[in-house]
Amino acid sequence: MDAFSMGLVAAMGALATVAGASEDIESDVGSQSNPNSQVQLAAQVGNPHRIYNKAISGEPPANALWAATAAIVAYTLITAFQMPALLALVAGASVAALFNGVFAMSSYFGRNASQARFNQWIYLDIVRYTTPSIMAHAWITSFCIATISYIMVYMLPTPHPFPMPIIALIWGLAVGAIGSSVGDIHYGGEREFQNRQFGCGLNTMLSGQIVRKAEAGLRNSIDNAWFCTKFGGPATGMGFGLTVFLDNWRTTVFDPVTQASYAIAMGLLFIIVEVIYNNYLEKSMRRKYGPYPEYKGDVAA
Amino acid sequence: MNFDINTIIYILEILVGGLLVGIGVHFVPVGGAPAAMAQATGIGTGTVQLAAGSGLTGLLAAGLMMSVTDNLWLILASGAVGAGIMIGSTMLTGSWIYAYAVGVPFASAKVTYDPITGFSQPPYIAPGTVGHGIPTVCFVSGLIGGMMGGLGGAMIYYPLYLINGNAALSAMFAIGIFLVNAVIASWNIQGTIEGFHDPKFKKWPFAFRACAIASILLALASVLITGGA
Amino acid sequence: MSVGGGGGGAPSAYDPKKLRMYGLVGSIVGIYLGSILNSALNTEVFSFVGAVAAIFAVVMGANAVRRVCAYGIGTGVPSIGMLALGMGIIAVMFGLSVAETMGFGLLGPIITLVYAGVFGYIIGVIANKVIKFNIPVMEEGNADLSMAGALAILGWSFAVSGTLGYADIVNDVLMTGYIAIIFIAGGLAILHPFNACLGPDEKQDRTLVNAIMVGGLAMVATGIAALMTQGLAAGLLQLIIGFALWYYFFKMYYKLVKRDAAAVVGTGLLPPTVQ
Repeated sequence: MDAFSMGLVAAMGALATVAGASEDIESDVGSQSNPNSQVQLAAQVGNPHRIYNKAISGEPPANALWAATAAIVAYTLITAFQMPALLALVAGASVAALFNGVFAMSSYFGRNASQARFNQWIYLDIVRYTTPSIMAHAWITSFCIATISYIMVYMLPTPHPFPMPIIALIWGLAVGAIGSSVGDIHYGGEREFQNRQFGCGLNTMLSGQIVRKAEAGLRNSIDNAWFCTKFGGPATGMGFGLTVFLDNWRTTVFDPVTQASYAIAMGLLFIIVEVIYNNYLEKSMRRKYGPYPEYKGDVAA
Repeated sequence: MNFDINTIIYILEILVGGLLVGIGVHFVPVGGAPAAMAQATGIGTGTVQLAAGSGLTGLLAAGLMMSVTDNLWLILASGAVGAGIMIGSTMLTGSWIYAYAVGVPFASAKVTYDPITGFSQPPYIAPGTVGHGIPTVCFVSGLIGGMMGGLGGAMIYYPLYLINGNAALSAMFAIGIFLVNAVIASWNIQGTIEGFHDPKFKKWPFAFRACAIASILLALASVLITGGA
Repeated sequence: MSVGGGGGGAPSAYDPKKLRMYGLVGSIVGIYLGSILNSALNTEVFSFVGAVAAIFAVVMGANAVRRVCAYGIGTGVPSIGMLALGMGIIAVMFGLSVAETMGFGLLGPIITLVYAGVFGYIIGVIANKVIKFNIPVMEEGNADLSMAGALAILGWSFAVSGTLGYADIVNDVLMTGYIAIIFIAGGLAILHPFNACLGPDEKQDRTLVNAIMVGGLAMVATGIAALMTQGLAAGLLQLIIGFALWYYFFKMYYKLVKRDAAAVVGTGLLPPTVQ
């Protein structure tokens, strides 16, 4: 453990936080993954809309693709053309963003064309001004993850044995899983259905009744992303940042060759603290919010 | 290619690793698309996606440990802990969103009293939903599932690396075997599950048999692969 | 996540048996052609033939995804793509390694194909009998998926490394890490077309054109990888051909979208509801 490697671990944690936040906003701007099922359902129940229906795949495989693309382009430029690392990573992220644009457009066109019988139109202006926003966020995500992989393979004192693109693939899968689990709730449980009462889950009767008419004019995905950057994005960033930072911090502070058991004990400590914190959250919410007044059964609160 | 007692042990290790992955998927509380809308309990994503994310993070930690030491227990433990941290952070930050952004207490509709804390569940379930959030039993179940996935991934990687000595080849192989087992287990779950307290959990023997057959075939194929030096 | 298609099987204009035959024959012939041309003329310029062969396999896989997912298996389309690639990569490594150890390096693709087909079929049988799905096309659909994944990975690995020798493929594709992009781009090429065109009015030709388009994009990625493993000439050739394929089929895709959609408008208010 020395100042240089601790600095690297801190940099990785910061990059991971940014990557998590931008990944979530990218999926909110495009309405990818789970809340997209409501967007898909909306047209079928009679609510055609102007939301960007980006259904590339789930978030983990998609983000794995952007991260892996950035990593292989950067790796090729660094190894074959001796480009400086930062420039190579920037070029890699740009290629990944271009791929993202192609996939996003193809899924918007495809999904809306397959809903022709519900009179869901394809709006070219939505494609024109939303796709660059999606591409920009994918740029940030893939740049950060490719840089994390680069640091893990080329700069840390105990370098990782896997090649750089494989590490980028795995972190891409992880950031997609985290973004799908954390940030999408803010979008799907809150912003997509803002026309209902606050403080309860989505009633099944309201399925498909997404907000289509916004504060001024028609709701589109940029409005949704504006809202989700306030909380959903940063929370996802915290989730991924905690994962990367805590995982690498314990193996840098405790040398893996001689003090491995301390590193594992530290990890178990983190896990136990998380369980206790979640329990505290549960008790606090029950106390502050109280039971639902509509409950008519006889189980004591 | 010498077929001795070590090869049998390696095949068994890969088999056990695949089974751990398959059964671990049943412990992770996944609510799917409804959970992302606070309509069902659990994490709002798909089973395979979360299992892949957490298990492969554990594989990453185990891979690093294996490059510096040979001790099987340390490698397995670091794989489990790496995956556990990932899934714990995911569930914790998800809980922040449920608690503060959506504003719902955590409750599950599958049990009347939480098996671990004893809190009552039905009065805290919003009308028209089947629960929301991540109550403590789901959190603990998720940790168990994630750690089993990480353990399984590490256990698949370890014998592969000993056989062919190539980190990249073993890593891709481990990813492949991991994904096959995770997908078969998620077929068994059929979409959503809340953890070990969910009645759907009793279906795990089907996944056990299916993953066992698939893992044996994959193990037999893997031990025949050389490092290509 | 698997809403769409009819409840009992997706309608097809192209017969699945014909597509399977075209896919298998096209990719196997392409891989062997590229390998023989490369070794006979002692060059690496013909690696792009392997990437084109992979596109045949991808189209076969995308059609298999259509058929299997139309029955609603409960886990969604992305998992199927990951399964196909997971099965595929093991088949490829097994086939190439066994062929090398036995001494018949050229038999690699055939062993890969046979193992992938048998393993995919067994997984389909497990799904129907042990997990009790009882979906009619599950066995052959899974076998199709497994073979498609394996041949796609084999085709693109050949495009990156230039030969079918096991040691070369391990060196050029695995140690460098390029297998990661082959794995995930292949998976997305197989699962993205059906996922992107999901809906009641999904048409098979639009889905398959989408598959070729994504295959072209993956070829651009392997072209970038080949810049390092095979030098400027082979890499640039792959890049340009991949870009041309992508461009041509993206335009065809857009034409089909305009044919199928309710309306493609420059801008506008909400459309009138049809209910």
